[in-house]
Amino acid sequence: MKNCDALLIGGSAGSLDVLIKVLPSIAIDITFPIIIVLHRKKGTDSLLSDLLSSKTKLIVKEVEEKENILPRTIYIVPSDYHLLIEKDFTFSLDYSEKVNYSRPSIDVTFQSAAEVYKDKLVCLLLSGSNADGVNGLITVKEFGGEIVVQDPKTAQVDYMPGQAILRANVDEVLEIEQMADYINNLK
Amino acid sequence: MPKKVFIFDDNNDILELCTLILEDAGYEIKTSATSNNIIEQVLAYMPDIIFMDNWLPDVGGIEATQELKAHPDLKHIPVIYFSANNDVSALANKAGADSFLAKPFDIHTLEEIVSTHIGK
Repeated sequence: MKNCDALLIGGSAGSLDVLIKVLPSIAIDITFPIIIVLHRKKGTDSLLSDLLSSKTKLIVKEVEEKENILPRTIYIVPSDYHLLIEKDFTFSLDYSEKVNYSRPSIDVTFQSAAEVYKDKLVCLLLSGSNADGVNGLITVKEFGGEIVVQDPKTAQVDYMPGQAILRANVDEVLEIEQMADYINNLK
Repeated sequence: MPKKVFIFDDNNDILELCTLILEDAGYEIKTSATSNNIIEQVLAYMPDIIFMDNWLPDVGGIEATQELKAHPDLKHIPVIYFSANNDVSALANKAGADSFLAKPFDIHTLEEIVSTHIGK
């Protein structure tokens, strides 16, 4: 069973639908934070937090600058900012250039988390139409973390998880129905 | 039969989120990212309520709403004008919409405005 100090989930087109299906089945006694990086446009922040919050009893909140990262909390990255994880286990929001045409960029968050959590990081990459997140997964693996992707056959847009399987040494490929069990077994 | 909501917006994230939220609340949803052929689009679905974005490709939200309100078979359908523009109420007024919703909005405001106009 994988030791997990943080679970990061990245996704783009088609990933919200997956989260809505998976969140209700995630146990409320998980021992780690879940940090969600979704590509999206400005103006939808409160709607997204509200919607995800309605699907779980865990606390769902938007990341705030310099905030301490707490377990049993689901953090949503605000639109139009990159999210970095700092060595003192706090968040940092960054308005620098887009990466992979994206801000937030999944690569940016995965890579910064890899350096902090090392082999106690688990990253899950979901449906999406570009390859943002794949380089991040490769870095996470280099630091000893576990990398998991949505089965492209179950993805609304299979490019993102497909690229991950092609280019990264993925530990697990999960169907949507398998994701909650996988997450609940992380300790 | 579930009540039907037609949402016009060129922001796919708004369309996806509003669809998921309102489907959860028991409504049937159709979306469109253009005001092109607005009359034909609405006649083909005959919704109980319409959400109309201000910055919509083709004729735009104001003209699209005016066309709907001038059509004998469609003018009774409530149109909620929504925009991030500070003057959303004035824009809604100009368009002849029935109500307005300022962006960004939260889930409860969205559900409340729909149920107020068409019930559950």
